[in-house]
Amino acid sequence: MLFEQLLFFVAGLGALAGALGVVLIRNPFYSVLSLVAHLISLALLFLLLRAEFMAAAQVVIYAGAVMVLYVFVVAYVGGSDEPLGPEGGPLRRIGPLFAGVLFLELAIAVVGSSLDALDSTGPEVGASFGSPGEIGRLLLTKFLLPFEAASFLLLVAAVGAVVLARKRRGLEEPDDGVPTLSVADVLREEGAR
Amino acid sequence: MTLMGADGLVVETTLVQIVKALVIFGFIFSVVPMLTVLERKLIGRFQSRIGPNRVGPRGMMQPLADALKLLSKEQSAPATAVPWMMAISPVIIVATAVTTLAIIPFGPQGAWGGDLGLYGIDVEIGLLFFFAFGSLAFYAFVLGGWASGSKYSFLGAMRSAAQLISYEVAIGLSLLGVAMTAGSLSLVKIVEAQGEMWFVIPQFVGFLIFMVAGFAETARAPFDLPESDAELVAGYHTEFGGMRFGSFLLAEYIEIISVSGVATACFLGGWHGPGPEALAPLWVLLKIFALILFFIWIRATLPRLRYDQLMSFGWKILLPLATLNVLITAILLVVT
Repeated sequence: MLFEQLLFFVAGLGALAGALGVVLIRNPFYSVLSLVAHLISLALLFLLLRAEFMAAAQVVIYAGAVMVLYVFVVAYVGGSDEPLGPEGGPLRRIGPLFAGVLFLELAIAVVGSSLDALDSTGPEVGASFGSPGEIGRLLLTKFLLPFEAASFLLLVAAVGAVVLARKRRGLEEPDDGVPTLSVADVLREEGAR
Repeated sequence: MTLMGADGLVVETTLVQIVKALVIFGFIFSVVPMLTVLERKLIGRFQSRIGPNRVGPRGMMQPLADALKLLSKEQSAPATAVPWMMAISPVIIVATAVTTLAIIPFGPQGAWGGDLGLYGIDVEIGLLFFFAFGSLAFYAFVLGGWASGSKYSFLGAMRSAAQLISYEVAIGLSLLGVAMTAGSLSLVKIVEAQGEMWFVIPQFVGFLIFMVAGFAETARAPFDLPESDAELVAGYHTEFGGMRFGSFLLAEYIEIISVSGVATACFLGGWHGPGPEALAPLWVLLKIFALILFFIWIRATLPRLRYDQLMSFGWKILLPLATLNVLITAILLVVT
């Protein structure tokens, strides 16, 4: 048990430090990297909750695919310390207000439910809880409709991204009639410059 | 303390797990030097040269000399570099590469008596574990290349990023057919499902896609664009010297071993082979060795691809083919 407790505090502190780093670090490259650290810590927390599949999916999809693109773009656009916009403005005043209210709400919800559970051992779960098979079964039976809706949404987003990329770059009349994919294009432009 | 295993997976004591970790580590770090000399010798033969032949009998002690040379070299970095990041990226790459080896099964549970399973760990998420650590290796390339503060390193890092993302999709889909046929993601269960027929026969297309994408994932020739020496000096590890450079080299060989190991477990029947069950690890090692020879052979045979060829091959040929393979496998599984 000691090892798990130790891991919990390491992962918890890692997640907090990562999340704070995203907001507080000015350099976008380091900011993105601390988001990666945050996501990996979250995966560790999932692992402690016996949600192996969730932990693996978290690493493969977020740390391994989504954040890769973030790092890719930020590394290109620049690791400068310059602020993105002018100081001040209305957003700067309203932002902390919203953050404070959200924090209060979340704190009430978390403290309210977790104070009761402090001395209990948590819910009893079956041996196959969190396994890929179990999650797959749930997705195709109980959560079929939300699952399909989410996949449809992703499809729409992917098509939308292609349409927007074509418009922005004037790819209406490509040479070979096939719009090429963006990752390759980014690199080719860099080489031609 | 025992680690909890889900679904009847093997539960082992901490002590056994530590011993296993040490065995895997020791084994890999003694095999990799032999692989470097094997590769140099073989490539020499392929190119009508002798290869290394000065250190020790027939040049077999060459890795020792290389390691000593690398260890005694000075660590230098350009003025534009970020030193701490250059220091951690070799650590990330070696750690992720070695961790992947934990899931490769060398034999069934109890092959050497007792409850001992001849694998590091048997996790329910087996293949996802492989992908997770494979994708984390990306950060080593990008951090190393970005932190070097050099254009060649940066271009190499960006190339490896684009290449890894592109081919990871194909490699995932190629193994999906195997996972569907075996009905599990656990590598041990996948090997157990191949008692009658190795998956290389029903999943031949998947095997081909996996091997091609495996070459791209390990950044080996003909997909070694991240470090193509003719254009980028040495790509993301241009600015690394001494043992830090050695770590990248080490990790590349470990990745070859782990990709070969996963291919052995998923397609070539893992520990299945003639003879008593206690010989299981021998068969696995033989199959892995054959695949490593294949890796070296290809490097000596094929020229490097052009960058746009690499991208269009990955997205326009491999990905549709892999998707089609998954689709046909699913239909066949439902019909039969």
